[in-house]
Amino acid sequence: MPMSLFEIWLGILQGLGTTLAVTAYGLVFAAPFALVFGIAQYLTRGVAHLLVTGVIEFWRSSAVIILLFVFYYALPVVGVTLSALTVSAMVLGLNAGGYASQAVRAGLQALPPGQKEAGAALGLSRPAILLLIELPQALIAMSPTFVNTLIQLVKATALVSLVTLTDMTFRAKEIAQVEYNPVAIYTALLLAFFVVCYPIALAGRWLEARVAAPGSRSGGI
Amino acid sequence: MGFDLAFALSSVPTILGAIGTTLCVALVSCIGAAALGFLFDMVRRVGGVGGLAIGFVIDFIRSTPVLAWLYFLYFVLPFYGIRLGSMTVGVMGLSLYYSGYLAEVFKAGIDAIPKGQSEAARALSLSRRDAVIYVIAPQMLRNIAAPLGNYFVSILKATPYLAVLAVPEMLGRAFDIASETYRYTEPLVVAGLIFLVLALVISHGVKRLERRLLAVGAR
Repeated sequence: MPMSLFEIWLGILQGLGTTLAVTAYGLVFAAPFALVFGIAQYLTRGVAHLLVTGVIEFWRSSAVIILLFVFYYALPVVGVTLSALTVSAMVLGLNAGGYASQAVRAGLQALPPGQKEAGAALGLSRPAILLLIELPQALIAMSPTFVNTLIQLVKATALVSLVTLTDMTFRAKEIAQVEYNPVAIYTALLLAFFVVCYPIALAGRWLEARVAAPGSRSGGI
Repeated sequence: MGFDLAFALSSVPTILGAIGTTLCVALVSCIGAAALGFLFDMVRRVGGVGGLAIGFVIDFIRSTPVLAWLYFLYFVLPFYGIRLGSMTVGVMGLSLYYSGYLAEVFKAGIDAIPKGQSEAARALSLSRRDAVIYVIAPQMLRNIAAPLGNYFVSILKATPYLAVLAVPEMLGRAFDIASETYRYTEPLVVAGLIFLVLALVISHGVKRLERRLLAVGAR
Protein backbone atom coordinates (compact mmCIF):
# COMPACT_ATOMS: atom_id res chain seq x y z
CA MET A 1 0.00 0.00 0.00
CA PRO A 2 1.48 3.39 -0.93
CA MET A 3 2.32 5.79 1.86
CA SER A 4 0.05 8.78 2.31
CA LEU A 5 1.42 12.32 2.16
CA PHE A 6 1.06 12.50 5.90
CA GLU A 7 3.08 9.31 6.42
CA ILE A 8 5.85 10.60 4.15
CA TRP A 9 5.95 13.84 6.09
CA LEU A 10 6.08 11.98 9.41
CA GLY A 11 8.80 9.71 8.05
CA ILE A 12 10.95 12.71 7.13
CA LEU A 13 10.32 14.35 10.49
CA GLN A 14 11.88 11.28 12.15
CA GLY A 15 15.14 12.87 11.04
CA LEU A 16 14.34 16.22 12.66
CA GLY A 17 16.04 15.17 15.90
CA THR A 18 19.35 14.58 14.10
CA THR A 19 19.01 17.83 12.13
CA LEU A 20 18.46 19.78 15.36
CA ALA A 21 21.16 17.84 17.24
CA VAL A 22 23.79 18.61 14.59
CA THR A 23 22.70 22.28 14.63
CA ALA A 24 22.89 22.55 18.43
CA TYR A 25 26.16 20.62 18.62
CA GLY A 26 27.48 22.77 15.75
CA LEU A 27 26.69 25.92 17.73
CA VAL A 28 28.90 24.59 20.53
CA PHE A 29 31.79 24.92 18.04
CA ALA A 30 30.54 27.99 16.17
CA ALA A 31 29.88 30.42 19.02
CA PRO A 32 33.24 30.16 20.86
CA PHE A 33 35.14 30.14 17.56
CA ALA A 34 33.33 33.25 16.31
CA LEU A 35 33.88 35.11 19.58
CA VAL A 36 37.51 34.17 20.16
CA PHE A 37 38.69 34.56 16.57
CA GLY A 38 36.55 37.64 15.84
CA ILE A 39 37.97 39.41 18.89
CA ALA A 40 41.49 38.15 18.14
CA GLN A 41 41.31 39.46 14.58
CA TYR A 42 40.15 42.82 15.95
CA LEU A 43 42.88 43.11 18.60
CA THR A 44 45.95 41.55 16.98
CA ARG A 45 48.49 43.14 14.64
CA GLY A 46 51.32 41.80 12.51
CA VAL A 47 52.16 38.10 12.45
CA ALA A 48 49.51 37.17 15.05
CA HIS A 49 46.88 38.91 12.92
CA LEU A 50 47.97 36.97 9.84
CA LEU A 51 47.78 33.66 11.74
CA VAL A 52 44.30 34.43 13.11
CA THR A 53 43.11 35.52 9.65
CA GLY A 54 44.60 32.36 8.14
CA VAL A 55 42.65 30.09 10.49
CA ILE A 56 39.42 32.03 9.88
CA GLU A 57 39.87 31.98 6.11
CA PHE A 58 40.53 28.24 6.12
CA TRP A 59 37.17 27.54 7.76
CA ARG A 60 35.26 30.31 6.01
CA SER A 61 36.57 30.19 2.45
CA SER A 62 36.75 26.42 1.98
CA ALA A 63 33.88 24.60 0.30
CA VAL A 64 32.06 23.18 3.33
CA ILE A 65 31.02 19.94 1.58
CA ILE A 66 34.68 19.15 0.83
CA LEU A 67 35.76 20.08 4.38
CA LEU A 68 33.20 17.61 5.71
CA PHE A 69 34.44 14.79 3.47
CA VAL A 70 38.10 15.59 4.16
CA PHE A 71 37.66 15.46 7.93
CA TYR A 72 35.32 12.48 7.75
CA TYR A 73 37.83 10.41 5.74
CA ALA A 74 41.16 11.91 6.85
CA LEU A 75 40.84 12.04 10.65
CA PRO A 76 40.76 8.22 11.06
CA VAL A 77 43.83 8.01 8.78
CA VAL A 78 45.83 10.18 11.17
CA GLY A 79 44.52 8.17 14.12
CA VAL A 80 41.72 10.45 15.32
CA THR A 81 38.44 8.56 15.50
CA LEU A 82 35.42 10.77 16.09
CA SER A 83 31.77 9.89 15.54
CA ALA A 84 30.15 11.11 12.32
CA LEU A 85 28.02 13.40 14.48
CA THR A 86 31.04 15.04 16.12
CA VAL A 87 32.92 15.48 12.83
CA SER A 88 29.82 16.98 11.19
CA ALA A 89 29.13 19.33 14.09
CA MET A 90 32.77 20.43 14.18
CA VAL A 91 33.09 21.10 10.44
CA LEU A 92 29.69 22.75 9.97
CA GLY A 93 30.09 24.63 13.25
CA LEU A 94 33.55 26.00 12.54
CA ASN A 95 32.48 26.96 9.00
CA ALA A 96 29.51 28.90 10.41
CA GLY A 97 31.79 30.22 13.17
CA GLY A 98 34.16 31.53 10.50
CA TYR A 99 31.34 33.56 8.96
CA ALA A 100 30.14 34.77 12.34
CA SER A 101 33.67 35.78 13.38
CA GLN A 102 33.62 38.33 10.56
CA ALA A 103 30.42 39.79 11.99
CA VAL A 104 32.03 39.98 15.45
CA ARG A 105 35.09 41.76 14.04
CA ALA A 106 33.05 44.10 11.82
CA GLY A 107 30.74 44.92 14.74
CA LEU A 108 33.71 45.84 16.93
CA GLN A 109 35.36 47.88 14.18
CA ALA A 110 32.14 49.79 13.45
CA LEU A 111 31.91 51.23 16.97
CA PRO A 112 32.87 54.91 17.24
CA PRO A 113 36.38 55.28 18.76
CA GLY A 114 34.86 57.54 21.38
CA GLN A 115 33.44 54.45 23.12
CA LYS A 116 36.88 52.99 23.76
CA GLU A 117 38.30 56.40 24.67
CA ALA A 118 35.49 57.08 27.13
CA GLY A 119 36.18 53.74 28.79
CA ALA A 120 39.88 54.57 29.05
CA ALA A 121 39.05 58.01 30.46
CA LEU A 122 37.02 56.28 33.17
CA GLY A 123 40.11 54.30 34.09
CA LEU A 124 38.87 50.93 32.84
CA SER A 125 41.43 48.32 31.82
CA ARG A 126 41.55 47.17 28.17
CA PRO A 127 39.82 43.81 28.92
CA ALA A 128 37.12 45.65 30.88
CA ILE A 129 36.56 48.08 28.00
CA LEU A 130 36.22 45.16 25.59
CA LEU A 131 33.93 43.16 27.84
CA LEU A 132 31.75 45.92 29.29
CA ILE A 133 31.63 48.52 26.53
CA GLU A 134 32.61 47.22 23.11
CA LEU A 135 31.34 43.61 22.99
CA PRO A 136 27.78 44.19 24.23
CA GLN A 137 27.19 46.93 21.66
CA ALA A 138 28.88 45.03 18.82
CA LEU A 139 27.05 41.76 19.51
CA ILE A 140 23.65 43.44 19.71
CA ALA A 141 24.28 45.40 16.53
CA MET A 142 25.33 42.24 14.69
CA SER A 143 22.62 39.96 16.12
CA PRO A 144 20.59 39.86 12.86
CA THR A 145 23.72 38.59 11.07
CA PHE A 146 24.15 35.85 13.67
CA VAL A 147 20.55 34.78 13.06
CA ASN A 148 21.27 34.54 9.32
CA THR A 149 24.35 32.43 10.06
CA LEU A 150 22.20 30.15 12.24
CA ILE A 151 19.83 29.61 9.30
CA GLN A 152 22.81 28.82 7.07
CA LEU A 153 23.96 26.29 9.69
CA VAL A 154 20.56 24.57 9.85
CA LYS A 155 20.51 24.32 6.06
CA ALA A 156 24.10 23.07 5.91
CA THR A 157 23.14 20.14 8.17
CA ALA A 158 21.51 18.57 5.09
CA LEU A 159 25.10 17.62 4.22
CA VAL A 160 25.34 15.14 7.11
CA SER A 161 23.09 12.82 5.10
CA LEU A 162 26.19 12.23 2.94
CA VAL A 163 28.19 10.93 5.92
CA THR A 164 25.57 8.38 7.04
CA LEU A 165 23.69 10.42 9.66
CA THR A 166 19.92 9.92 9.47
CA ASP A 167 18.80 13.54 9.31
CA MET A 168 15.69 14.70 7.41
CA THR A 169 17.49 14.59 4.04
CA PHE A 170 18.71 11.03 4.70
CA ARG A 171 15.19 9.99 5.70
CA ALA A 172 13.83 11.46 2.44
CA LYS A 173 16.31 9.37 0.45
CA GLU A 174 15.45 6.26 2.48
CA ILE A 175 11.74 6.73 1.85
CA ALA A 176 12.47 7.33 -1.85
CA GLN A 177 13.95 3.83 -2.01
CA VAL A 178 10.73 2.12 -0.97
CA GLU A 179 8.21 4.57 -2.41
CA TYR A 180 8.16 5.97 -5.93
CA ASN A 181 6.68 9.37 -5.19
CA PRO A 182 9.50 11.88 -5.63
CA VAL A 183 7.16 14.88 -5.86
CA ALA A 184 5.63 14.25 -2.43
CA ILE A 185 8.88 13.15 -0.79
CA TYR A 186 11.08 16.05 -1.89
CA THR A 187 8.33 18.64 -1.49
CA ALA A 188 7.88 17.36 2.06
CA LEU A 189 11.64 17.64 2.62
CA LEU A 190 11.70 21.27 1.43
CA LEU A 191 8.66 22.03 3.59
CA ALA A 192 10.27 20.40 6.63
CA PHE A 193 13.30 22.70 6.36
CA PHE A 194 11.04 25.68 5.70
CA VAL A 195 9.09 24.97 8.88
CA VAL A 196 12.35 24.98 10.87
CA CYS A 197 14.09 27.93 9.19
CA TYR A 198 11.31 30.38 8.39
CA PRO A 199 10.41 31.16 12.04
CA ILE A 200 14.11 31.82 12.67
CA ALA A 201 14.16 34.16 9.66
CA LEU A 202 11.09 36.01 10.98
CA ALA A 203 12.72 36.32 14.41
CA GLY A 204 15.80 37.71 12.68
CA ARG A 205 13.71 40.31 10.88
CA TRP A 206 12.06 41.34 14.13
CA LEU A 207 15.49 41.62 15.72
CA GLU A 208 16.77 43.69 12.80
CA ALA A 209 13.89 46.15 13.15
CA ARG A 210 14.57 46.42 16.89
CA VAL A 211 18.31 46.94 16.47
CA ALA A 212 17.80 49.52 13.74
CA ALA A 213 15.10 51.36 15.74
CA PRO A 214 15.94 55.06 15.70
CA GLY A 215 16.61 56.93 18.94
CA SER A 216 17.49 53.87 21.00
CA ARG A 217 21.24 53.40 21.10
CA SER A 218 21.12 49.72 22.00
CA GLY A 219 18.07 49.21 19.83
CA GLY A 220 15.77 48.84 22.82
CA ILE A 221 17.02 45.37 23.71
CA MET B 1 48.71 4.82 6.00
CA GLY B 2 49.23 8.53 6.69
CA PHE B 3 49.32 11.18 4.02
CA ASP B 4 51.07 10.12 0.80
CA LEU B 5 52.36 13.34 -0.75
CA ALA B 6 53.51 11.68 -3.98
CA PHE B 7 50.05 10.15 -4.47
CA ALA B 8 48.41 13.50 -3.68
CA LEU B 9 50.57 15.23 -6.30
CA SER B 10 49.79 12.51 -8.84
CA SER B 11 46.06 13.19 -8.40
CA VAL B 12 46.46 16.94 -9.06
CA PRO B 13 46.33 16.80 -12.91
CA THR B 14 43.14 14.68 -12.95
CA ILE B 15 41.33 16.90 -10.46
CA LEU B 16 42.64 20.14 -11.94
CA GLY B 17 41.48 18.87 -15.34
CA ALA B 18 37.91 19.49 -14.19
CA ILE B 19 38.54 23.10 -13.17
CA GLY B 20 37.02 24.23 -16.47
CA THR B 21 33.79 22.34 -15.71
CA THR B 22 33.71 23.80 -12.20
CA LEU B 23 34.25 27.40 -13.36
CA CYS B 24 31.83 27.00 -16.26
CA VAL B 25 29.09 25.57 -14.01
CA ALA B 26 29.68 28.37 -11.49
CA LEU B 27 29.60 31.11 -14.15
CA VAL B 28 26.46 29.84 -15.93
CA SER B 29 24.72 29.29 -12.56
CA CYS B 30 25.68 32.80 -11.46
CA ILE B 31 24.27 34.31 -14.67
CA GLY B 32 21.11 32.22 -14.31
CA ALA B 33 20.73 33.20 -10.66
CA ALA B 34 21.27 36.89 -11.48
CA ALA B 35 18.72 36.83 -14.32
CA LEU B 36 16.14 35.03 -12.18
CA GLY B 37 16.90 37.17 -9.14
CA PHE B 38 16.52 40.37 -11.20
CA LEU B 39 13.21 39.10 -12.56
CA PHE B 40 12.04 38.24 -9.02
CA ASP B 41 12.92 41.71 -7.76
CA MET B 42 11.17 43.40 -10.69
CA VAL B 43 7.97 41.40 -10.11
CA ARG B 44 8.19 42.17 -6.40
CA ARG B 45 8.50 45.90 -7.18
CA VAL B 46 5.34 45.83 -9.28
CA GLY B 47 3.59 44.68 -6.11
CA GLY B 48 0.06 43.26 -5.93
CA VAL B 49 -0.61 39.56 -5.52
CA GLY B 50 2.26 38.62 -7.85
CA GLY B 51 4.67 40.70 -5.80
CA LEU B 52 3.54 39.09 -2.54
CA ALA B 53 3.78 35.62 -4.08
CA ILE B 54 7.33 36.26 -5.30
CA GLY B 55 8.26 37.63 -1.88
CA PHE B 56 7.10 34.33 -0.39
CA VAL B 57 8.95 32.30 -3.03
CA ILE B 58 12.16 34.18 -2.17
CA ASP B 59 11.63 33.50 1.56
CA PHE B 60 10.92 29.85 0.83
CA ILE B 61 14.08 29.41 -1.25
CA ARG B 62 16.18 31.12 1.42
CA SER B 63 14.75 28.82 4.12
CA THR B 64 15.62 25.55 2.36
CA PRO B 65 18.99 23.84 1.69
CA VAL B 66 20.57 23.77 -1.76
CA LEU B 67 21.06 20.00 -1.45
CA ALA B 68 17.29 19.51 -1.04
CA TRP B 69 16.70 21.62 -4.16
CA LEU B 70 19.18 19.58 -6.16
CA TYR B 71 17.47 16.31 -5.13
CA PHE B 72 14.08 17.86 -5.80
CA LEU B 73 14.92 18.84 -9.39
CA TYR B 74 16.93 15.69 -10.05
CA PHE B 75 14.12 13.31 -9.06
CA VAL B 76 10.97 15.34 -9.70
CA LEU B 77 11.65 16.53 -13.27
CA PRO B 78 11.95 12.96 -14.71
CA PHE B 79 8.69 12.10 -12.90
CA TYR B 80 7.00 14.59 -15.22
CA GLY B 81 8.88 13.20 -18.22
CA ILE B 82 11.46 16.00 -18.32
CA ARG B 83 14.80 14.27 -18.86
CA LEU B 84 17.80 16.56 -18.60
CA GLY B 85 21.50 15.92 -18.12
CA SER B 86 22.73 16.00 -14.53
CA MET B 87 24.85 19.07 -15.27
CA THR B 88 21.81 20.97 -16.58
CA VAL B 89 19.83 19.97 -13.49
CA GLY B 90 22.74 21.06 -11.28
CA VAL B 91 23.00 24.45 -12.95
CA MET B 92 19.22 24.87 -12.64
CA GLY B 93 19.37 23.99 -8.95
CA LEU B 94 22.19 26.40 -8.17
CA SER B 95 20.52 29.16 -10.26
CA LEU B 96 17.20 28.70 -8.48
CA TYR B 97 18.73 28.52 -5.01
CA TYR B 98 20.96 31.60 -5.42
CA SER B 99 18.27 33.63 -7.22
CA GLY B 100 16.61 34.05 -3.83
CA TYR B 101 19.78 35.73 -2.55
CA LEU B 102 20.51 37.75 -5.68
CA ALA B 103 16.96 39.18 -5.65
CA GLU B 104 17.97 40.82 -2.35
CA VAL B 105 21.21 42.07 -3.91
CA PHE B 106 19.24 43.77 -6.71
CA LYS B 107 16.76 45.15 -4.19
CA ALA B 108 19.50 46.71 -2.08
CA GLY B 109 21.43 47.93 -5.15
CA ILE B 110 18.40 49.69 -6.61
CA ASP B 111 17.09 51.03 -3.30
CA ALA B 112 20.49 52.59 -2.58
CA ILE B 113 20.19 54.93 -5.59
CA PRO B 114 18.97 58.29 -4.28
CA LYS B 115 15.49 59.26 -5.47
CA GLY B 116 16.93 62.57 -6.69
CA GLN B 117 18.65 60.70 -9.51
CA SER B 118 15.48 59.69 -11.32
CA GLU B 119 13.90 63.05 -10.47
CA ALA B 120 16.88 64.85 -11.97
CA ALA B 121 16.65 62.66 -15.07
CA ARG B 122 13.01 63.62 -15.43
CA ALA B 123 13.84 67.31 -14.86
CA LEU B 124 16.32 67.02 -17.76
CA SER B 125 13.38 65.60 -19.75
CA LEU B 126 15.02 62.22 -20.34
CA SER B 127 12.53 59.59 -21.37
CA ARG B 128 11.76 56.85 -18.82
CA ARG B 129 13.76 54.42 -20.94
CA ASP B 130 16.80 56.69 -21.21
CA ALA B 131 16.64 57.42 -17.48
CA VAL B 132 16.82 53.71 -16.70
CA ILE B 133 19.60 53.01 -19.22
CA TYR B 134 21.83 56.05 -18.63
CA VAL B 135 21.09 57.07 -15.04
CA ILE B 136 19.71 54.16 -12.99
CA ALA B 137 21.34 51.08 -14.54
CA PRO B 138 24.99 52.26 -14.34
CA GLN B 139 24.59 53.16 -10.67
CA MET B 140 22.82 49.89 -9.94
CA LEU B 141 25.63 47.95 -11.59
CA ARG B 142 28.18 49.79 -9.47
CA ASN B 143 26.20 48.95 -6.33
CA ILE B 144 25.73 45.27 -7.11
CA ALA B 145 29.17 44.47 -8.60
CA ALA B 146 30.84 43.58 -5.29
CA PRO B 147 27.95 41.57 -3.75
CA LEU B 148 27.50 39.78 -7.07
CA GLY B 149 31.21 38.90 -7.03
CA ASN B 150 30.87 37.56 -3.48
CA TYR B 151 27.92 35.42 -4.50
CA PHE B 152 29.93 34.13 -7.45
CA VAL B 153 32.44 32.85 -4.89
CA SER B 154 29.59 31.29 -2.87
CA ILE B 155 28.24 29.59 -5.99
CA LEU B 156 31.73 28.38 -6.88
CA LYS B 157 32.02 26.81 -3.43
CA ALA B 158 28.60 25.19 -3.92
CA THR B 159 29.53 23.54 -7.23
CA PRO B 160 30.98 20.44 -5.44
CA TYR B 161 27.38 19.72 -4.34
CA LEU B 162 26.88 18.66 -7.95
CA ALA B 163 29.12 15.66 -7.26
CA VAL B 164 26.08 14.03 -5.61
CA LEU B 165 24.37 14.20 -9.02
CA ALA B 166 27.49 12.62 -10.61
CA VAL B 167 28.52 15.81 -12.42
CA PRO B 168 32.23 15.41 -13.29
CA GLU B 169 33.45 18.57 -11.53
CA MET B 170 36.52 18.64 -9.26
CA LEU B 171 35.02 16.88 -6.21
CA GLY B 172 33.50 14.25 -8.50
CA ARG B 173 36.92 13.61 -10.03
CA ALA B 174 38.44 13.37 -6.54
CA PHE B 175 35.87 10.71 -5.62
CA ASP B 176 36.58 8.86 -8.86
CA ILE B 177 40.23 8.62 -7.85
CA ALA B 178 39.26 7.67 -4.30
CA SER B 179 37.00 4.82 -5.38
CA GLU B 180 39.63 3.44 -7.77
CA THR B 181 42.46 3.51 -5.22
CA TYR B 182 40.58 3.27 -1.89
CA ARG B 183 42.53 6.34 -0.77
CA TYR B 184 40.16 9.18 0.10
CA THR B 185 42.35 11.59 2.03
CA GLU B 186 44.78 12.72 -0.66
CA PRO B 187 42.39 13.47 -3.55
CA LEU B 188 39.90 15.15 -1.20
CA VAL B 189 42.60 17.33 0.34
CA VAL B 190 43.82 18.27 -3.15
CA ALA B 191 40.28 19.19 -4.28
CA GLY B 192 39.73 21.15 -1.07
CA LEU B 193 42.95 23.12 -1.50
CA ILE B 194 42.18 23.97 -5.14
CA PHE B 195 38.76 25.30 -4.11
CA LEU B 196 40.28 27.24 -1.22
CA VAL B 197 42.87 28.90 -3.48
CA LEU B 198 40.23 29.69 -6.13
CA ALA B 199 37.89 31.21 -3.53
CA LEU B 200 40.65 33.30 -1.92
CA VAL B 201 41.97 34.60 -5.26
CA ILE B 202 38.53 35.58 -6.56
CA SER B 203 37.52 37.10 -3.19
CA HIS B 204 40.68 39.18 -3.27
CA GLY B 205 39.81 40.37 -6.78
CA VAL B 206 36.29 41.29 -5.66
CA LYS B 207 37.69 43.27 -2.73
CA ARG B 208 39.97 45.24 -5.04
CA LEU B 209 37.10 45.89 -7.42
CA GLU B 210 34.97 47.07 -4.50
CA ARG B 211 37.67 49.50 -3.38
CA ARG B 212 38.00 50.94 -6.88
CA LEU B 213 34.25 51.32 -7.27
CA LEU B 214 34.04 53.06 -3.90
CA ALA B 215 36.79 55.45 -5.03
CA VAL B 216 34.89 56.18 -8.26
CA GLY B 217 31.69 56.69 -6.29
CA ALA B 218 33.36 59.15 -3.94
CA ARG B 219 34.60 61.38 -6.77
